[in-house]
Amino acid sequence: MKKYFLYIALAFILALAQRFLFSKLLILHASPDVLAIFIAYISVSAGQRTGVNYGFGTGLVAGMLSGNLGLSALIGTVQGFVAGFYHVPEESHATSVKKKRMFYAASLTALIAGNLLQSIMLDPLALPLYIRMPETVILGTLMSMTLTVLTYHFALKKLLRD
Amino acid sequence: MLTRKTTDVSSFFRFIAKHTAYLYFLLYCSISVMLMQLQRQETLEAIRERGLSINAAVTKQFTDATSVFFLERDNEQLFLQNARLFAQLLREQRARRDASEANAIVATAPPWSGQFKVARVVDRRFSATDNMLVIDAGSRQGIAKDMAVLTPDGLVGRVIEVSSNYAKVLPVINRNFMVSVVSDSTSTTGLLAWRNGHERLAKMEHVPVSSKLLTGEFLRTSDYSTFASRGIPVGQVIRISKDKLFYNVDVRLAVDFSSLSWVLVSLAKPSMEKIELMTSPDVPAKEE
Repeated sequence: MKKYFLYIALAFILALAQRFLFSKLLILHASPDVLAIFIAYISVSAGQRTGVNYGFGTGLVAGMLSGNLGLSALIGTVQGFVAGFYHVPEESHATSVKKKRMFYAASLTALIAGNLLQSIMLDPLALPLYIRMPETVILGTLMSMTLTVLTYHFALKKLLRD
Repeated sequence: MLTRKTTDVSSFFRFIAKHTAYLYFLLYCSISVMLMQLQRQETLEAIRERGLSINAAVTKQFTDATSVFFLERDNEQLFLQNARLFAQLLREQRARRDASEANAIVATAPPWSGQFKVARVVDRRFSATDNMLVIDAGSRQGIAKDMAVLTPDGLVGRVIEVSSNYAKVLPVINRNFMVSVVSDSTSTTGLLAWRNGHERLAKMEHVPVSSKLLTGEFLRTSDYSTFASRGIPVGQVIRISKDKLFYNVDVRLAVDFSSLSWVLVSLAKPSMEKIELMTSPDVPAKEE
């Protein structure tokens, strides 16, 4: 129970960080998505249902900060749902390598799904879709995956192993 | 058969319990889509317009259905409104007529009517023996006792009593009224008095048979009057008959009292010095 409250607090902090820090790290209109990594971690470790719940909640918080309440909630929900397919149950006794792979796969899937949705439904710069989609999906996913690897090595490695 | 159905239902619930993530996913997606739609301005406006049209349609139906029960009340309100409008119309018509008459009396006032106050006759008592007028100007408007009251046609009477906003006028056609007059052609003087009878007919008294008064002469107020200025028209001599020492003169009055509604009050005050001198004893005091 204590763990879930911690996750909620973390969701708030990460939403703030995404809004005021990571969204500023722009490379060709694409920025890393730390919330997708967080949702992927929740889904992998706690399951698809929990991932969907946290995805929706985190998306709502992010949406309140960004102004796109509905779209952020939808992206978070979808990310939690697709990442939930890579859930590694605690009783499965999976190896750390498998957990790492599942986490990377979950993150990649969540990032692609989230960026895809975002590029389709959000167009603040009025860019053509053939420019917007590669930039957001490919570049954004690459940047976020880099962040995923870093996060795994420096923070989540130990947690997932436990 | 029953057992098979029970098994199907329980497997359905087991499936639902196993895949609650799908339900949550659908639920959250629906909420998110709703939020996205609500964020669009046109969607909100469409919802508002739809709500307004539904509300108007329901209200119209309700009003149509219940209007039958309020017909009597509506009719009463319309009647009251009609009465108010009619009263307002009457007031405006009366005010316009009054203003027109007041303007006319001022416009047709004779040249000697320099200092006059226009007043309306608000009450009158006419009988065969005693006539009296009340006008709507009093001491606040500068009216004082013994001021002359007239119209552009001629003399009406004399102010005998004053309140703040009203004044009582003793008209020419009152037994107690007398005024000194002079004929315009022969300058014959006499006293005009009304002795009952016709409201347009008065008598000119104290005209000696030696005078040269002619029928048809116009009479005006003379300098001898204690309240009226000289030259106010009073009437016209219509008949002269000889008596023992004086003529019996019938005068047709200049003012038609039957249609009198507006008057002028002369603000010139009577000369008290002249009145006092006239009322002093005629016999000089004996020297010691």
